[in-house]
Amino acid sequence: MLENYLPILVFVVLGVLFGVGPLLMSFVLAPNKPDAEKNSPYECGFEPFEDSRMKFDVRFYLVAILFIIFDLEIAFLFPWAIVLDEIGLFGLLSMAVFLSLLVVGFIYEWRKGALEWE
Amino acid sequence: MTFEQLIFYILAAIAVISSLMMISVNNPVKAALWLVLAFIATAGVWITAQAEFLGIVLILVYAGAVMVLFLFVVMMLDINLVKLKEGFIRYLPIGVLAALGIFALMYMVLGPNNFGMDVTGEPVRFDANHSNTTMIGLALYTVHVYAFILAAVLLLVGIVAAIALTIRRRPPHEVKYQNIDKQVKTQARDRFEMIKMQPVKEKPVENKKEEDE
Repeated sequence: MLENYLPILVFVVLGVLFGVGPLLMSFVLAPNKPDAEKNSPYECGFEPFEDSRMKFDVRFYLVAILFIIFDLEIAFLFPWAIVLDEIGLFGLLSMAVFLSLLVVGFIYEWRKGALEWE
Repeated sequence: MTFEQLIFYILAAIAVISSLMMISVNNPVKAALWLVLAFIATAGVWITAQAEFLGIVLILVYAGAVMVLFLFVVMMLDINLVKLKEGFIRYLPIGVLAALGIFALMYMVLGPNNFGMDVTGEPVRFDANHSNTTMIGLALYTVHVYAFILAAVLLLVGIVAAIALTIRRRPPHEVKYQNIDKQVKTQARDRFEMIKMQPVKEKPVENKKEEDE
């Protein structure tokens, strides 16, 4: 089974080399003469107004969490789709119960207005 | 040492080192990036242990979705690092105690008494066409259906908890809605009105312009 993953390993190693190689080369080859002006933060020519960290609407976070929950649901659907022929009616019903529980959550978030962007 | 073992040791070393970096770097954004690397190395370890589906799901769900959420929160949130480090010395004994307790628990469950070739036996080697996903599917939806449904309940609780914690209605006067029905149904005469009026003669403004310039 593992031999099927050899091409992926090759790709991973090549990808790491492509990413790390230029960084290393610029670190070794490029001239490096920092001074105070070069190292100071630059924002369109004037001093930065404020820190980049700030308070933001918790609604973005809610959308992300709801996305992750349904992303996980997809992870459960993949093996089910593969073995559906073999697990028969019982497997179909177990997935129906699983999905109906999540649909309850989906209806809840819909009715509650969590998907609405006011 | 076989090639497989070499790969395993490299991936395991990356996982351990990146985990250590994750808990020791000061910048929370860098910590999250190290955690991504730890997840990816762990996924590789799982794939060498022939759990391909779990490895891919680890990358897809954790490195893909969860860590993006973490990074998003860590990058955007107003985290004051100096404040976080306040009381480090004061809480150090409690922290060390908790860490030791957790380590002892993990040692009892995952220690050498319960793992190793003599306890678990030689792992079965599957041939090239063996599908780990099929095996998980066959077991998960039939034998372990109770755990499967419990996972759905857990996700449901997650949805309800996330909404209950974060939903904030804005007061109506702050919100500007578009009523699409109303927009579609509207007609020219609702918006445009001809008014008859007498012409109005304005006073001449000659001197004012020169002052402006």
